Order: sequence, then C-alpha cells, then structure tokens
Amino acid sequence: MNLNPFWSMSTNTVRKRSDGEEQSGEQQQPRASPARPSFGKKQLPSIPKNAVPITKPASPAAMAQLANGTHASYGPFYLEYSLLAEFTLVIKQKLPGIYVQPSYKSALMWFGVIFIRHGLYQDGVFKFTVYIPDNYPDGECPRVVFDIPVFHPLVDPVSGELDVRRAFTKWRRNHNHIWQVLMYARTVFYKINTMEPLNPEAAVLFFRYDKDVQLFKSKVVDSVKLCNSHLFDQPKMDDPYAISFSSWNPAIHDEAKERMFTHKRRPEDHQKGLQVSGLSWVKPGSTQPFSRDDNPPLS
Amino acid sequence: MMMASMVANGNRDGRQGEALVLKGVDPETCMIVFKNHWAQVVKILEKHDPLRSNTSSNMAALGVIGLSSGGPMRFGGPIPGDEASAVQNYVEHILFLLMEEDAGQAGAMGPILEFVVMENVMERLFLWSLRRQFTDDMKLEQLKMYEMIVGQARQPLLHHKPVLRPLMMLLSSCSGTAGPEVEAELVSLLNQLCCVLAKDQSVLELFFHTSEDQGAANFLIFSLLIPFIHREGLVGQQARDALLLIMSLSAENQRVAQHIAENTYFCPVLATGLSGLYSSLPTKLEVPGEEWHCLHREDWLQMPTLVQFLNSLEFCNAVIQVAHPNIRDQLVSYIYNGFLVPVLAPALHKPTLEEVMTTTAYLDLFVRSVSEPVLLQTFLSFILLHVHILDTLVHILDTLSRINTPFQLGTVSLALFQTLIGLYCEDVMLQLILRYLIPCNHMMLSQRRVVKERDFYSVSAAKILALTPSCCSPEHSPPPLRQLDSILWSKGTDNSPNTGTMETEETFLEEDGSCYSCVIGSEIYLDVNYLHYLYNARLGISSCTRACQVWSAPYDGEDPPPEEYQPSALEEAGARGRQAQTVNPKRSHPHPRPRPPCPPQTTDPAPTNQLELEWDDSYDAGPVVSLEAATAESSRPPQLPAAEPPKHIQEMRRTAIMLVKGSYIEESDFQDDVMVYDLVAKKDARDTVDRRRPSRETLPESEESEIDSEFNLEEDHFKESSLQEKDEVPLSNGLSLPLHPTNMEVNSSEVTKGSKEVKAHVADHNSNLQSPSAEVGDDLMGQYEELIRTLGSDEAGTGGSSPVKTVDKEFRNPVVTPMEEDEVDFSSFSMDTPELEKPHSSLFGTKLRSGSTRSHSVPFTGPFVSVLLSRLENMLDNSLHVNLLLTGILAQLAAYPQPLLQSFLLNTNMVFQPSVRSLYQVLASLKNQIEQQASTKKDFPKLITSAQHCLLARESSLKGQDTNSGDSRECSPLEAGRMMKSSPPPQPKTISLARTEVFATVLFTEFLKELAAIAQEHSILSHVPMEE
Repeated sequence: MNLNPFWSMSTNTVRKRSDGEEQSGEQQQPRASPARPSFGKKQLPSIPKNAVPITKPASPAAMAQLANGTHASYGPFYLEYSLLAEFTLVIKQKLPGIYVQPSYKSALMWFGVIFIRHGLYQDGVFKFTVYIPDNYPDGECPRVVFDIPVFHPLVDPVSGELDVRRAFTKWRRNHNHIWQVLMYARTVFYKINTMEPLNPEAAVLFFRYDKDVQLFKSKVVDSVKLCNSHLFDQPKMDDPYAISFSSWNPAIHDEAKERMFTHKRRPEDHQKGLQVSGLSWVKPGSTQPFSRDDNPPLS
Repeated sequence: MMMASMVANGNRDGRQGEALVLKGVDPETCMIVFKNHWAQVVKILEKHDPLRSNTSSNMAALGVIGLSSGGPMRFGGPIPGDEASAVQNYVEHILFLLMEEDAGQAGAMGPILEFVVMENVMERLFLWSLRRQFTDDMKLEQLKMYEMIVGQARQPLLHHKPVLRPLMMLLSSCSGTAGPEVEAELVSLLNQLCCVLAKDQSVLELFFHTSEDQGAANFLIFSLLIPFIHREGLVGQQARDALLLIMSLSAENQRVAQHIAENTYFCPVLATGLSGLYSSLPTKLEVPGEEWHCLHREDWLQMPTLVQFLNSLEFCNAVIQVAHPNIRDQLVSYIYNGFLVPVLAPALHKPTLEEVMTTTAYLDLFVRSVSEPVLLQTFLSFILLHVHILDTLVHILDTLSRINTPFQLGTVSLALFQTLIGLYCEDVMLQLILRYLIPCNHMMLSQRRVVKERDFYSVSAAKILALTPSCCSPEHSPPPLRQLDSILWSKGTDNSPNTGTMETEETFLEEDGSCYSCVIGSEIYLDVNYLHYLYNARLGISSCTRACQVWSAPYDGEDPPPEEYQPSALEEAGARGRQAQTVNPKRSHPHPRPRPPCPPQTTDPAPTNQLELEWDDSYDAGPVVSLEAATAESSRPPQLPAAEPPKHIQEMRRTAIMLVKGSYIEESDFQDDVMVYDLVAKKDARDTVDRRRPSRETLPESEESEIDSEFNLEEDHFKESSLQEKDEVPLSNGLSLPLHPTNMEVNSSEVTKGSKEVKAHVADHNSNLQSPSAEVGDDLMGQYEELIRTLGSDEAGTGGSSPVKTVDKEFRNPVVTPMEEDEVDFSSFSMDTPELEKPHSSLFGTKLRSGSTRSHSVPFTGPFVSVLLSRLENMLDNSLHVNLLLTGILAQLAAYPQPLLQSFLLNTNMVFQPSVRSLYQVLASLKNQIEQQASTKKDFPKLITSAQHCLLARESSLKGQDTNSGDSRECSPLEAGRMMKSSPPPQPKTISLARTEVFATVLFTEFLKELAAIAQEHSILSHVPMEE
C-alpha cells in the first residue's frame, strides 16, 4: 500500500470527489506534490464537534509547556503529527483486509472499510468511520462506527458503534495505537465475544449457536447482504476522501489496475531518475571509511 | 538518385561556391578532369624532384628523413612561385573532386579515390610541400586540406594507407614547435580525426599500424593532444573534447586503454598539470567581506587562473567518468599522489591563516565541483584519512577541524564541512560523527532501546519549541511581521459527523502561495512560517533518506552492533597515543609514574569540572579542563607524562578561552598570535619530546629514534597490566615514512612552481625523519619489528645516523633525478609507492582515528560534534553568518534518518552520560542566556523587531541574487528570512549587525522551529520503509 499522508499538499485545491476507487486517496500522490512548493496550502485539520478547545491542557507535560505559550501555538501541529504517526503505523502494520483513509477535513476522522474473508461474516464488506478524540493521545480510545449497523453482539444495532472500549478500557499513550483498534475491529468478526453485548439479540442468538445455528447464521447473512447492497451508496460523509465504491468501469479502473500491477517494478526506474544519490564506500559490516574492496587504489 | 545527391551537395557544401560546378556532371567526366589536373601537377612535381623517382617507398623514406631533420628540404633549388601556385590551384580542384566522389558499389572505392591510392597522390603532395619551404603557412595549408577532405569526403578515406600515412607524417611534423595558428589548426584536425574514430572504430587499428610504420608504436593522434590538455581557450577545449572521445573509446577497447595507461603520460600530465595550475592560483584571496565564507561562482569567474584550474579538474572528472577502469584508476591515483598529497596537503599547512583559509576555500570549491564518485572518493579519503607529515603528523581532517577558530578560517572550514555533510556520504558521516555514536557509550545503558523509538506525540518538538525565549514567544506578543501570516485556528463549529458539513471554509488565495489557508473564528495564533519549516524538513529528510539507501548499515544502535565496535584495547591505546601529545598541560606532571593498573571499565568517569568549552577537539580529545578547574584537576590521580599540545593549539585555545570569557576584544590581537600556528609548529614536536625526556637532548638524533623504540619497549612491559596506560606511549616514527611519493621531483616541465613546492616539501619531510617527533602508540612490538625489518642490517652497524640514512636512501631510490622530459619514468609516480601509503590501511589513518573514540570511561561524541556544539553555545557572540552556517550544518545533520544521529540530536527524552553534552542542553543554556539578556536590556523587544526587519530585508535581497547566480549548492542554508516570506514590507529601522546577541536571539528562535519541524517530520517519515 502506498503511503499517502492525508495532509498531503493539496495542489488541487478544487475538491475532487472520489470517483469510486477503492482508495480514493490514490489520486493524491504525495510525491507529485513537492514539485510545486505549495506548502502554504497545506491543510490543517479542523476539529469536529464535541471538540474541547485545543488549548486545554491535555497532559501534565502539555501543562508545563503552556506556561510558555508555545504549546498553544504549536499544539495543533503536535496533534496532527501524532495522528500522522499513527497513520504511518497503520500502514506499516499492513492489516489484512482493512483500509483506512483520513478525512479531507479533519485528521481526527478516518474512513475505513473492512473485508471479511472467511468465517461467519465471510464476504462482508463493512464501511466504518473512526473518530479520534481531539485531546488525543490523552483522551479516551477512538470510536469505531459502522455505516450500517452490522448484526453483531458488539455492534450497537442503532448507532452502528462498535464496542471498542471493552478492549481499551484506558487509552494509554505510547502503548495503545489506532492500528490496534482497527485490528480489534477486524478480530470481532472472526472471534465472536458475547459478554456484555451491545446487541443482546445477537448475543443471545449466538449464545444458543449450537442449537440455533441456522437462525444466527441467517441473521448474519442477511446483515452482510444488507451491507453489501448498500456498498455503492454515496458515502454518508460529504468528504472528498470518503471511501466510495462503484461498479467496475473499464474506462476508469483498468488503468488504475494496470498501475497497481506495474507498481512493483517502479522502484528501479525510480532509482535511476533520482537526482539525489548518496555515497558509500563502506564495506558492510565494517566501520572503516573507504573499506569496500572496489575502491580504486590510491597508491 | 542524381538529384538527391545534388541536393545533398547543395546542403552540405552550400558555403562553397564550387559545389555548384559539379551539378549534373557525371562521374566519368570528373575522373577525366581529375586525371588531367593530376598530370599537370605531376609534371611540375617531377621537374623539381632530384631523384625523379616516384615510388612510394622512396617517398616515405624521404618523408621520414625530412621529418627527423625537421628543417626545410629543398631539392634542385628554389621552386618558382608561379609553379607553386599552379600546383596549389590544381590540387584544390583535385581534392574537391575527391571529396565529391561517391563510394562505389558495395562500399568499394570510387574511381578517383582508387586513383589517389594507386598513384599515392596524397603522399606526393605532402612531399612536395616538404620540398618547398615547410613553413607554418605550408603546414597550415596542408592541415586545412586534410581537415576538409576528412570532414567532407563522402567515402571513408582514412582506411587507405596512402591517405593515412602522409597525414600521420604531417601530424608528427606539426607537433614540436609551431605557431599558435598551426597549433589551433592541428588541434582542430585532431579533434576531427577523433570524431571519425569515435564513429568508426575500424580506423583505429590503422592508426596504430601507421604509427608502427614509423618505428614508434604509439597512438599519434592521442599523444599529440596531450600537450594541449591544460591549454586555455578554444584550443584547450577542443583538445579536451577530442581526448574525451578517445577516453570513451578506451572504455570499450582494451587495447586503447592499455596503450594509454602504459605507454603514454596522459594521467601523470593531467594530474601534475593540476598541481601546476594550482600553484598559479593566488595564495591569498581578497575576501570581499567578513561574511564571505566560500567561493561562489561569481567569485571564481573573476579569477582566470581558478577558472583554468576548474576546467582541468572538470576534465579529469569527465575522463574518470568515461574512461576505461585502468585509466580511471591510474588517474585517480596520480591525482591523489601527484596533487592532493604533495601540493594540497602542504598548502593546508601554510604559515598564515589567510593562506590556509584560501586553501580551505579552494578545497571546498573542488569538492563541490567534482561529481564523479570515484574522484569524489579520492578527495574525501584525502580529507578524511590522509596524514600529513609536517614536523608532526597532522591529519588533514584535524587541520580542517579548526572550525573553532573564531575567524574567517573557521567560517570557511565550516562551509567546507557543510559541503561534506551535504554529500550524503556514509564515509564522511562515519568518520565525522557516527563512529563515535556506534558504541552507544554516550547514552545510559538503559537508553539503548530508546534509540529506535519513534516520537509519536512530538514530545521532542514540543520540548524544543518550549525553549523559545519569552521575548520571541508567538503568544507573548505576536511580532508585527507575523500578524498577517497567522492562521487563525478554528475549533470547528457545530459539525456533527453524520451531516459531515464542516462550516469552516478554507480560503485559498492563489497568488504564488503567499497567502495561506486561513480560518477565521478563533484567537489562537499559529505560526505560519512553521509550515515552511515543516515543508523544508520534509523535503530534506526524504531526499536524505533516499540518498542514504545506498549506505551499508542503518546505524540504528543495533547495526552495526555497539558491542563489536567498542574501542578495543589496542585501538584505544593507539588513540591515546595520539591524544597524549595534546593532553592539557595542566595534566602533565613533572614526575611521571604509571597509573595503578585497573581495567578501563572500572575507571570512574570523573567528569569533574568539565567545562563546556572544548577547544579544537581534534587535538584535544580529552576533557578540557577550565583554568579555574585546574587546581581541582591536579588532585586527580597522577598520570604518565603527557606531551603538551603543539603551541599553536595552546595558543588558539588560549584565545578561545579569552573569547569565551569575554576578555577578548580585538581581532588583530589574534592575527599576530595566530602566526604561532605554524611558525612554532616547526619546533613543536621536538620541544615536546625534549620536554619529556630532557636528558636525550644531547644524543645524536638518529640514535634517539632507536632509543625511542627501546624506551617504548621498556615502558611497555610495565604497562601490560593496564591497557589504559598505553595511551601515553610515544610513537616511534618508523612506519609512515615512505608516505610521500617522492615522485614530484620527477616532474614534467609543465609543473614548475608546483614541483618546487613539492621538492621543498620532500626536503621538509626528510628533515622530519631526523627528528623523532611523531608519536605513535599503536601495537608497539609489531611496529618495532617493522622498523627493524625496514632498516635492515644497516641498523646495527653503521652507527648513529644509519637508520635515518637508510630510510632516506630507500626513500630516494625511485627518484629520478632531473632529466629530459622524455625519459621521465612516470610510473615511479605512484605505481610503486609502498603499500603503507594506502590510506585505508594507514596506521594513523584508521587505527588512531577509530581509536579516538573514547573508552567506556569517557563517553565522547567526537570532535566534530563537540566543536559544533561549543561554537553554537557561543551563539550570542557569533556573527550572524557564522550562526547561519552553524545552524545550517546542525539542521542538515538532524535531517539524517539514522536513528543514532537522530536520537542524539533530536530526542529530548534520551538520557545521556553526564559528560556528554547534547544539542538540547546547549539550546537550553542559550535560552537562559537570552532570557538574561532580555531581562537586563529594556529595549530588547524593540531590537528584536528591528533585527527581524533587517533579516527580512536581507532575505529578499538574497532571493534577488539567487536567481542570478546559478550556483548549484546553497551556501547559507538557513536563510534567516526564509521564515518571514510574504510579510509586509519592512519598516526600515537600523540595527547594527554588531548587536550579535539580538540577531542570535531571532535566529535561535527560528532554529528551534527548524529543529522541531525536523523532529516532527522524522516521527512520520523515518519510520516508514521507503517503498518507492
């Protein structure tokens, strides 16, 4: 997957609607952007609703800095970079079947989709949104809300919110990361837990699984079908980076697919075109300068 | 068909009116005309031929005789002018017909060419011109003739010996002495021939063969070009272009490569030519101003000699790029041994600061001009590893490390280091910094795992920014310059995630990015220029990360493994040996006694009284002790006698201390003082030895060196128990003696001044042999044996002076005494220099330096870092441009992705050993200094504002210049005003640049942002594997 910092310089100031690519962010190639120093137009995240003012001291450390006044000025940068770091970590994890894309408007909101590849929920494609508290990382754990409430013991049948807090009772900076939340969101569909369910009906049905296999199963299948039938709906969020699906359109997708497959070969080409190239004559395993054997003899 | 060729004619020869003459003329007619003309010519030719012979072999013989006698040849008296011009006329027509002839079928010769070959026309014509007075005009005429037919003939002519051979004779007759016009024409023709060669390599064989006919198996057109290598102007350029063509030919043709490498003086001429050109450069630059620190393009364009040097250097670069590896390696080796070591190294040790500064600036320019990695590597290994033998062993690197000199030399050196760091070269970074960080001794043991940790929440950035002085705090009172630039941060209004409507609207004002997205509705000021820093940091880190992909190791605290690269005992001993000569005088005791044996690990770090001031650490790797601390220091366990540092170092240190203490006032004070730099150096080493062992003074010098060795042995055995002690072991001077290629005595006539310098240097060197000045502490036994082996049987027998003499003799053996140029054995230049010379196996070059990482007991991050930090600590007193350089270098270092470096410079959570000074500490102490200044001066805030305006004005003027000068590399990295682009026009308020503390405060604040931005970008960039 391509690292795609969501704050990437938006050289295209016209907001593009994501046109059905699975990862709408693809269009925003970060490498293309620096060609034009457009740093002035970098997007800063706005802070959605229930946002506590950013100046609110989030931690003792921040409190200390506040006296200086710098934290107030730079706090938003810290927050943004913390979230960027989280996002890069998500990418690094290469979570199977999970794709996320931070929103265009706020770094605190990420759009995601999860593909379930086997088990009871096989073939399910569930879109969700991650809401990150704005006093991150010192607040509570991020929330995960499914666009369509999936039939699942841990998913609220009305709001679609996944019970994340049971796994992260206390959000600890440095220990807890957003990828773990995503990982958790994936796991619940493979290992089903019925303790203190948000959806008692599902829990009960599942509890009686042995006896009533068919009933639970059919509920799940219905739910999966429902979700999948809404797959091509417009995204709930009016955001250019919201994930939207469209049916296969060769005019658009063939080329994108082509690019994805040729992607692997690109590193070499890229290497060649590099302007900046480092130098090294150090033999691997040595710490002596000019220790490599292919150095020309100087005497 | 006919039409087509005529059209082609018209196009090709449009400038020649005669082209039209042939339109529509059929080949047979041409042949008839040709034969006709030739018959007329032959008539005249034979009339004046005393032998009346026209066999080609005779002709050739005559030609050779004629050439060797060199003078004009006349047979049968003078030739009447009318006959000469008649021939001239016919010949023009003949040649024209030849040129215009098309090749026959299947590449066969056309009838005219066939006739030319059969009748040996060209050779007879050449002979004819020899028979007349062979003046420059005549040569010119002949050269032009060939240039024309070679360039314009439609069929290959050079494949035919009867055409090629007279050409070769002509060429060789034109070598030697000829007027500038002939030279120009000759080079032009040679250039053309090389073009033909490059296109059609089949001619190549013929060129060799034809040469062989003349008895000399040489590659004539190549040899003829060599004298023009360093020529100025068009001739030189054409010659170099032609040579380059041959060079690229050599890459594919082993025979050419071999010939050039083995039978020509190409490489030596090229390299020694550099020396010659270098010697004509001004030894002192007229520096435009205090701010000047490196040679920009507009500077060196004003200096013709420098332009010429750079042309030749560029040519070397190009040759290395295209030539066969054999030639490449040979050239590189000659440049090292024929230019860098014998010419540049002594120039870096000239007696006056200005001269050294000038050399440093040249070196910086050279490094910036060279692009071919192999050549760059040559320069770098010279800079990083070469040990110059003056009167004492001096690492070039140490010499350059005099960046602590508070004067222009220091600034120029800083600029050089900036260039080096900007190369993204692993070897440079390893030698300057990383080697000291690899063992991880600079941090607490528990911290090793922190090295690779990523700073998720920008904690380091926050801590760095929290150092912003209150007078510059963005909240305190936003400076007028920034007010417009501030982003107002929106808290967002009543957005529910479900509706997804964000009411905050970003407005984009497109005008060249000068307006930023602003969101109205809150009171928080955001420092917009911080976005610039983030952007720059991102660019810097990603290009650096990409460049470092070719490195051999990640330097992440695990690879290379710290355990394996602990300075080993032996290495350490070596290091100590070198340090020994420079240990602070306060620590040397009149009555030395060995320290009680104890393993190094248990030695207490004893960082008592370590002052922040580290002065010229390259010499003084030990903790520097402040003057005040001296008394405390003396209570430390006594140590073996340590030699004093060279006087110029002491001198510099003294000045530095004065400077730091604020008692230093006039630069001119130092100007005199600093002469000590080298004047005293002459005696330094011996003084050192003498001080240590006064009783030896009277001994014959050479015996002394023997005794040195014995003495070392004696010392050695009581040290066996304590490796630590070895650090004071004096070196014997045996091993590196044959370091300097004596070759420069052999010198082509081209290098005159340069060679003198070199001879002087060799003399220096010899005198050095007689005073065992250098100290070496490495592997004594081995070295002693080596010494004995080197000296051979002479050692015991012939008394005192023998060892030196022997070495001397050996040393001189390969030297060829001045002789005719032709006989110079260029191969003695570099081929046979002893193995020892190899920089990467050099005793001092590697072991000593690698050893200069300290033991566990005294963590040390290397001289370069400490010098940088001590200069930074002095920021408030530094001039603006020094601070710009310093902060630029540090920012550049901070952008490197290697976790070792990153954690050391940017991780504010890291716990270092108490004796290790971190960048953060220095910044914190600067903040305190600034706050103190601000609290005592009422007008400080006003001054700050003025300084900001001033810097802004400077920035805009620099930006104006920037577009003019095409200098590729930026010299002042952190353009102060960069921060304040697109601000309202400054209201001019004058503030003197002498208020360094004010400018430093502004710069400091910006530097904090720059560092914080780098730290933040690292947290997201460095940890993602570069997939593309």
